Amino acid sequence: MAEKHTITLTVNGRRHIAEVEPRMLLVDLLRDELSLKEVHIGCEHGVCGTCTVLRDGASIRSCITFAVQADGAEIRTVESLADGPTLHPLQDEFWAKQGLQCGYCTPGMLMRACEILAHNPDPTSAQVREGIASNLCRCTGYQYIVEAVLAAAARMRTGQNATHDVEVRS
Amino acid sequence: MKPPPFSYAAPPTIAEAVGLLAEHADAEPRVLAGGQSLIPLMNFRLAEPSHLIDLRNVAELSGIRLDGDVLVIGAMTRQSQIEQAPEVAIAAPLLAEATGLVGHTPIRNSGTIGGSLAHADPAAELPAVALALDADLVAAGPGGTRTIPAAEFLRGPFSTALAADEILTEIRLPRRAGGYAFVEFARTHGNFAIVAVAALVELDGDRISRAALALTGVAPTAIRATAAEDVLTGAVPDDATIAAAADAAVSGVRPAGDLHASAQTRIELARSHVRRAVTLALHRAQDQR
Amino acid sequence: MTTIDRPAPPPARTHKRDRRWVGQSVRRVEDPKFLRGRGGYLADLVTPGMLHAAVLRSPHPHARIVSIDTAAAAALDGVHAVITGAQAAELTDPLPDFGPDPANHVWRCLAVDTVRYVGEGVAVVVADSRYLAEDALELIQVEYESLPPIVDPQAALEPGAPLVHEPLGTNCAYERSFDFGDVERDFAEADLVVRDRLRWHRSGGQPLETVGAIADFDHGSGQLTVHTNSLSFTSYLFMAAASLRIPANRLDVRQVPAGGSFGSKLFVTKPLVLAGMCSRMVGRPVVFLEDRVDNIANCDHHGSDRVYDVELAVMRDGTLRGLAIDVIDDYGAYIQFGVGHHGNALAQVVGPYTIGSVRYRVRAALTNKNQQGAYRGFGSEVNNWMLEQMVDKAARELGMDPVEIRRRNFIRDFPYFIPTGNVYDSGDYDAVLDQTLRLGRYDHWRTEQKRLREQEGRYIGIGLITCAERSVFSATEFWFWFDEPGAPVTSMPESVTLTVDATGGITATLYSCAFWGNSPETMVAQLVAEEFDCDPHDVSVAYQGSRNGLPATGPGGSRTTVMLAGAVEGATAKIKAKARRAAAHLLEADPDDLEWADGGYQVRGVPDRRKSLGDIAIALHLFKHGFPEDIESGLEESKVFDHPYTTMPSADRKDLGVFYPFVGHACHIPVVEVDIESGAVRFLAYAAVHDCGTLVNPRSLAGHILGGVAQGIGTALYEEYVYDDDGQLLSSSYMDYLIPSAMEVPELAIGHVETPSPYTPHGIKGGGEGGRMMAPAAVNAAVNDALAPLGVRLTELPMTPERIRAALRTPR
Repeated sequence: MAEKHTITLTVNGRRHIAEVEPRMLLVDLLRDELSLKEVHIGCEHGVCGTCTVLRDGASIRSCITFAVQADGAEIRTVESLADGPTLHPLQDEFWAKQGLQCGYCTPGMLMRACEILAHNPDPTSAQVREGIASNLCRCTGYQYIVEAVLAAAARMRTGQNATHDVEVRS
Repeated sequence: MKPPPFSYAAPPTIAEAVGLLAEHADAEPRVLAGGQSLIPLMNFRLAEPSHLIDLRNVAELSGIRLDGDVLVIGAMTRQSQIEQAPEVAIAAPLLAEATGLVGHTPIRNSGTIGGSLAHADPAAELPAVALALDADLVAAGPGGTRTIPAAEFLRGPFSTALAADEILTEIRLPRRAGGYAFVEFARTHGNFAIVAVAALVELDGDRISRAALALTGVAPTAIRATAAEDVLTGAVPDDATIAAAADAAVSGVRPAGDLHASAQTRIELARSHVRRAVTLALHRAQDQR
Repeated sequence: MTTIDRPAPPPARTHKRDRRWVGQSVRRVEDPKFLRGRGGYLADLVTPGMLHAAVLRSPHPHARIVSIDTAAAAALDGVHAVITGAQAAELTDPLPDFGPDPANHVWRCLAVDTVRYVGEGVAVVVADSRYLAEDALELIQVEYESLPPIVDPQAALEPGAPLVHEPLGTNCAYERSFDFGDVERDFAEADLVVRDRLRWHRSGGQPLETVGAIADFDHGSGQLTVHTNSLSFTSYLFMAAASLRIPANRLDVRQVPAGGSFGSKLFVTKPLVLAGMCSRMVGRPVVFLEDRVDNIANCDHHGSDRVYDVELAVMRDGTLRGLAIDVIDDYGAYIQFGVGHHGNALAQVVGPYTIGSVRYRVRAALTNKNQQGAYRGFGSEVNNWMLEQMVDKAARELGMDPVEIRRRNFIRDFPYFIPTGNVYDSGDYDAVLDQTLRLGRYDHWRTEQKRLREQEGRYIGIGLITCAERSVFSATEFWFWFDEPGAPVTSMPESVTLTVDATGGITATLYSCAFWGNSPETMVAQLVAEEFDCDPHDVSVAYQGSRNGLPATGPGGSRTTVMLAGAVEGATAKIKAKARRAAAHLLEADPDDLEWADGGYQVRGVPDRRKSLGDIAIALHLFKHGFPEDIESGLEESKVFDHPYTTMPSADRKDLGVFYPFVGHACHIPVVEVDIESGAVRFLAYAAVHDCGTLVNPRSLAGHILGGVAQGIGTALYEEYVYDDDGQLLSSSYMDYLIPSAMEVPELAIGHVETPSPYTPHGIKGGGEGGRMMAPAAVNAAVNDALAPLGVRLTELPMTPERIRAALRTPR
């Protein structure tokens, strides 16, 4: 077995020091060592985007990133979105618009959407469509995801963030 | 789909990286840049290097600057930085346009220009850009650095002029006047191009004074379409000339077919996309005036 | 033509008019946990001491295994077991196979002495981690002796073709020709017979989560506990137990949410048996979860792969008289579900048209490929495509408008028995067509098409298809293929338990399904809310594993919502009967004088004399002695709901009976532009109107239409499991198996028509597969319309740029 390396990274605001084999993929570090099961594995060759996380604010495929490459980085997963019982506007609009069915691509899609809106708070429908083309969804046909991202963008621009997921219902 | 074991180092300097390549020569070491091509291959266990030398800590390998009329980009500069950099938009808009077609944003957020060139995937965009722009590629080895013209850099599919103990350090792209276009045909958005065309044209009055064309998808590496350039150079750019250039671009090419496109379809795609690229580049050249 | 005696349909229901919750696009009750990434999928389960299994896949399409040397792999640190196919055959029995003559095409969890497709498992390694398991796979030495592969389904049926299964003596696993109605007469009287050969290549569900199982065998009790993301576990449990040679009552299958299925997880036994075998061997919990290559190459759920020779008998006025189909289906190396995919075709073989007779010859070819399983539509989508291609070709040959020829042949009297004997319960095809023509701006696009063709030289195509959308299958379609079926089963139930706790809170328990991307929880919550006048988000929905489970079948064939609605209705009736008696007692009134209103029972006409469900529930839970002796404590009832409308096939199989009776309808109008230089197809517009009876959650159904259309676009243009002439699988990654992204899928305009079924609760029909049942036909029609000026028709899916270019090079 190859020598292990010690890495330090910040994940969702918490600092972690981990001893990892060089070959350990970032997705496996997040899932198995840090118990962040929301980072899903889809294709393990960088095409589907299910494993998308933010590294220093930029979306990456954690299945084709070695954990050692994330040494010193700040990683964000979907865990960072909701504030306790309060869903992030993106999560809330995905819910309202039915921007998910099986939910498997959803965490990666949400993180990619975060990056899209960070770069462009007022995107067009076409820009959202091109932006999320990086992430495959096998259920929704994407249309309600596009609607959800646009609706969330509108809310985030006007600062209407708070939605309590046990209060919002039908 | 988990990668095989390997040993790993992330040295802080080029010299140390080169030293490690020599030190681990018996272990078939590989240089790790962004990893967006290498790591999938390792996950499939199609590549099994015993030692990886990660250049992420070599600060001097990242950056974009203008050196007179030459755009200098560090090999470890991420593609997303290149895509957004104002220097690139000004000095090498062809590179900016092509980089926007490399995979998707999350790939470009990790992928580097040097990694793409050194990996030398025959379907990749950036080698064609380097060819069309007559880029110089700077390599560092045990004996110091050397400059390799792009035309000599690409040796074959996944094969370059880099020696086993050399590292690609920077890419030098001469600034070109005139119009540009990077046009490709991919089956789905963000997928590898079946055929891609990089085009540069300069106009002198009504005539094309200089043309550069590079193609992917019709040969084992990206190639320069010199015959087509000859057709264009000195000509008045009308439909017939462009069509003749497109014909010239594919005359004599012998692409290998695959499950996405037969040899014949690749030739047809190359012909039509040369026409589209040249037409777009000419429009842009005319718009500049 | 002989008259067929048919049992009378069930009595037509009267549906409630004013519904409060059924029909509302409420937020799905499932979603909050998934939005937080806390779905609890199989890979998220952490079991102490769990080991990881990985399977060594054959690189050969057809080869004899000469030897396997596992010593080096077994010696690797962290490896707990290496099991070869031969060893596995000592530990397990064959996997469940409903195909004809299973003894002569034995299917096992690992290949024993012959590999029959690229990707077939030859050995499994159990190790401390998936990384180590894959390291060990590389150390297994297998010596193969190549055998000639057979790849092409037509060649497979030729005499002298290499045999996929020697004991079978042929590669034709099934052949039969059925005549329904007077085919000879209809063809003899036809003015014109339209003929074509059509080719549909294989694609598949490709859910983003692969399939797997975590097995934990307890040697103390002999109990095997399995968590799996496969769905219909109640129905296959006893067969999986038999494969593992354990008593069925010692196997407990527990459900976890599935990250997509689209059919491909409905019935998956191989990962379960592999994991179970490994766990029993090493005495520790073992997970086997396919990686993407496993799922592409070895999932046993490739979709239909058909070659059609079709004849359509038509009259000069456009009347469609008879249909003669000769289809070869390439099943791959095994045939686990028999030719059930063609039952789905026969359920709606004439589409929405009054075609009077059908000849259906089907041959199942075995080849050196991964076998077929289920993929959204289950073969009906292929029939829709074939039929619409033929109708369009007939219209072209007759010089008729594609709208006109369809209208001329629409079925308009319901219930309608099609020639195969299946019934269409209800429909209003004109209404669907009219709405789609408006929504899709058909006339506008016809004008645009002409203008762009003439002024800009562009090739715009408008597709128009009108197709049937069958739902809720009966078990008879598994065996009516055979004169003497081995197991002529007739049960296809679904069950629900409703529990009202002491506070009046309602929990619904479902069996044999887990969450798989559809919304069974939301459906049930809305149905329960409709019955009990509560908020759907206050209904708790639970899934039960196989232990303590009630009879259930699981999802498939767009059955779940209809079947769950029946079970909810039945359980509700029982709950309300008991609650009415209890309320009558509490109110000192006659039960017959009570009426259900606003969440409780009240004396008819006296709204202030009432007991809410909560009042009744607390009394029933806590105050037993306040009630007559025969009223038991608590308030919980179950309903096992059996298929509501099934009739038996005739002995001569000239009538297959009613087996897929709730038949919806849809019209799709995509508008595409074909780049004739590159062969690329892009969408300019796409309208889809579906009639799935009464809608429970319109947005949820629209979501399924959208998702199904995206998959149908994949089938039409992008997705194909490509095997080359040597049997190598070329599309073994997502670089080459192309799933449409948001840039390949257009924005759809969606409309709904609601023609209730007379035979189901609320008039609901199934609708989960509709998008994919329509889109391949629609997109093909649009491409053909675009290329019509060039005299070119595409008759092969997917319509890749290569195929479009090839067709343009050789116009017909």
